[in-house]
Amino acid sequence: MSLFAIVGVLAAESGKAETPNKWWPESYEIIWGTLATVVIFAALWKFAIPQLKASMVARSERIQRDLDNSAKALADAESSAAQIRASKGDLAAERTRILADADRTVERVLADGRQRIDKEVAEAHAKAVADIALARTRVSAELQADVSQIASAATEHVVNGSLDPANQQRLIEDFIAKVGAR
Amino acid sequence: MTSERIDAYASALLGVARAEGRLDEVEDELFRFGRSLEASESLRATLTDEMIPPAKRQAVVEDLLGGKASSTTTQLLSFVIGSGRAADLPGIISALVDRAAATKSRTVAEVRSAVALTDDQKDRLTAALANATGKQVELKVVVDPTVLGGLVAQVGDTVIDGSVRSRLDQLKSLF
Repeated sequence: MSLFAIVGVLAAESGKAETPNKWWPESYEIIWGTLATVVIFAALWKFAIPQLKASMVARSERIQRDLDNSAKALADAESSAAQIRASKGDLAAERTRILADADRTVERVLADGRQRIDKEVAEAHAKAVADIALARTRVSAELQADVSQIASAATEHVVNGSLDPANQQRLIEDFIAKVGAR
Repeated sequence: MTSERIDAYASALLGVARAEGRLDEVEDELFRFGRSLEASESLRATLTDEMIPPAKRQAVVEDLLGGKASSTTTQLLSFVIGSGRAADLPGIISALVDRAAATKSRTVAEVRSAVALTDDQKDRLTAALANATGKQVELKVVVDPTVLGGLVAQVGDTVIDGSVRSRLDQLKSLF
């Protein structure tokens, strides 16, 4: 219900009179209404407006602070994004460098490995040749010794078998004759 | 034992044998015993074992030579062993034989044979060695089966080797 309606109701209840014009109020209604309006506006001006202004200022400040914070957050985000982009670029460069180092290391290790294996193979081959020669010499010597031993034993066996008394006497006589002929 | 002590023992034994008038017999028996001692490791070890009392070692020799050698030879060996000089018996015997030969102006000719020689062979061999060395020799024959066949004669430092063993050894060296 508006202020005018309230004033109109109050006036109707108190005066019990009807207005000549249904659209234009009575004079006292105008006066009281105006006064009431002034009082209300004055009260509003006196008490509500300052609080409203303070509220608006505080709100403006809060909004400004939020804007500032947002701007700062945006700046920080852009800075972080720039750093991330930079880091990403650094990471790519680092990745490239690490891969290049890895390639060089692999090449070096492979080259060293090939060289070492070649050297070991050469040494193993030389050792095998020497071992074979040594084994051949040893086996040959052992074989020769075995043959010599077997031949000696066989010869001794044959000689012993042939040394009958007659041959013993013949050997003795041969010795005496040989010594006597000196 | 020093060589002087060996010579002294050899001279003493030689004097006893000569005094008994059995020099040739004793010399020959001692020579054979010496060769047996050289060939037998167990006999040498027994006679030189200080843990065995000398009396027992003398008894071993007397049992060994009983009836096979003259009493003079047995007593002389028993004397050397009882004196604790058994280890020097080969040296003493060798010196005695050399001295005995020297007294007869002869040189000992040690001959090793696989079989025993007849007297005729000994005489002819003695003459042959005397002719070959230019010395009068006194033959000492040792029967040594390791010779296998033939003879090995040693006169002083001269060795004449006609044994089958040496020929076999030469043959082995060629293999």
